[in-house]
Amino acid sequence: MTLRFGDVPRLGLTGMRSRPGRTVLTALGIAIGIAALVSVVGISYSSRADLLAELDRLGTNLLQVRAGQDFFGEDAELPEEAPDMVRRVGPVEQAAAVAQVSATVRRTDRISELETGAITVMTAEVDLLDTLGATVETGRWLDDGLSDTPTVVLGATAARRLGITSLTGSPLVWIGDQWFAVVGILDPVPLLGSLDSSVFIGGDAAERLLDWDGKVSTIFVRTPPKSVNAVRDVLAATVNPLAPNEVEVSRPTDALEARTAVDRELTALLLGLGGVALLVGGIGIANVMVISVLERRSEIGVRRAIGATRRHIRLQFLTEAAILASIGGVGGALLGSMVTAGYARAQDVPFSMPPGAIAGGVGAALVVGLLAGLLPAGRAARLAPAEALRL
Amino acid sequence: MTVVELSDLTKSYDGGVEALRGVDLRIDEGELVAIVGPSGSGKSTLLQLIGCLERPSSGEIHLRGRNISRDGDRRLSELRGRQIGFVFQQFHLVDALTAIENVALPLLYQSTRHAERRRRAAAALERVGLGHRLHHRPAELSGGERQRVAIARAIVTEPSMILADEPTGNLDSVTGAEILDIFRRLHADGATVVVITHDREVAAAMPRVIHIRDGRVENAIEAIG
Repeated sequence: MTLRFGDVPRLGLTGMRSRPGRTVLTALGIAIGIAALVSVVGISYSSRADLLAELDRLGTNLLQVRAGQDFFGEDAELPEEAPDMVRRVGPVEQAAAVAQVSATVRRTDRISELETGAITVMTAEVDLLDTLGATVETGRWLDDGLSDTPTVVLGATAARRLGITSLTGSPLVWIGDQWFAVVGILDPVPLLGSLDSSVFIGGDAAERLLDWDGKVSTIFVRTPPKSVNAVRDVLAATVNPLAPNEVEVSRPTDALEARTAVDRELTALLLGLGGVALLVGGIGIANVMVISVLERRSEIGVRRAIGATRRHIRLQFLTEAAILASIGGVGGALLGSMVTAGYARAQDVPFSMPPGAIAGGVGAALVVGLLAGLLPAGRAARLAPAEALRL
Repeated sequence: MTVVELSDLTKSYDGGVEALRGVDLRIDEGELVAIVGPSGSGKSTLLQLIGCLERPSSGEIHLRGRNISRDGDRRLSELRGRQIGFVFQQFHLVDALTAIENVALPLLYQSTRHAERRRRAAAALERVGLGHRLHHRPAELSGGERQRVAIARAIVTEPSMILADEPTGNLDSVTGAEILDIFRRLHADGATVVVITHDREVAAAMPRVIHIRDGRVENAIEAIG
């Protein structure tokens, strides 16, 4: 005697029809576990998608050369010819130097020199924008024609602090003891926040108007992605052959990658917690099913009396556990996606949910349900019909 | 034709309780039989053995000529489903299911199609006079109505034998009489009905009564069925 395949879910649903409230509560246990797992994966994916987008924008082939410290712990300097030396390294595509100038920038000359707003004045080579892949929000970037004139381009944060959001009315700022015309405002530069709170003037203007000594503080170097490590290895010696130890070479995206590694560990931890929640949910199902088997002894007995084999009874209770868990799994996946969407919206990162997380969540729920159903289903199947009917 | 034949049947349980001590019994097709005995007489054990719910310790059971004494669980389950229709004192309906679903249940385990199950279940309920109660749940039915649903479930598979265990035990006398009337009507239509009871009044109304005492058949009063 066999069952029709289509009747199997019908069997599994009998128990839920008699106790819908209990069904919901039991499924909720699983749903919370799955929701935790799915949202952890979703949130970590979404924030990683954001990090990766940032990595992409900046590029992992950008190197930064800075003056470090000498043997005595004093601040070292980069040699004046350093930028040209760097540009002469074979694979280097582009390089641009900046230097910090000891002048302050203020909205007008009436504001005290002490109120710098933490804005740095920097000289910038014309190639800087291209080397960084940075973009101009409004106006224009410095070019050879402007390099010698009292003109300035503002970083995004610096512009906000100075209260200049557009170029209408040709705004001026007071640098050192001189008016400079604002010709452009930059978009934020990913990962290089210090540039956002800087204003940029041409090297010639800095030398002529602000007594800049021509010493650069940082060189940004763009290389082909394949040659990053090779270039990185020779940069220090190239920049300062006499004291390569006084040169600091770094890759800005390294910090970001470290962040993703930290995130990965946190994700693993949270996944573990989600797994514990799922386990508890599974035990909940097993519990409820054991009680259900006790309560439904006479149903089991009568089913055996009217022709159900042990296998049919086991199948019925396993199906019931699987359906319970699936309801929880689907509900949990939905809940987890909603949590992720809420997080993405609140943190302003792109919503990203791997389809595998949804499928895996529902699949995990099903597996937990089946495992949880094994013991009670086995008990139900082993009940002797005469005993179950108390004949 | 013989429906069920027991020869030298014994059943003892762990702990040395001898419930049946050599029973010989034959029930023919179309009979209406009462098996009577006080509690502890072994009539419940007899019911379990005739109903293929248990296997005997020794002796043989032939159901429709076939020896089933040593059959395994799957085989016995199939026999119960196809050859025997059970009616219990406590009705034993599935609370979550409506009357028609309860009645259709045995057919589910015989891979009958859903539509066919419902058609036959409705016909069986019609036969016991519950054609107007198809979609009620057990909780919405009176005791007598529940027992009718149980009888409909027992006859829906057109079994060789209807096996009723104290079918009027939970009913008042008027309703009990109605239920016995249904059994008599089924018997008149040709069904084989075995009623197990301790109620001598119920037994007295049956054409044939088998007395059980201390695990043995005391006497078999034959009458004209």
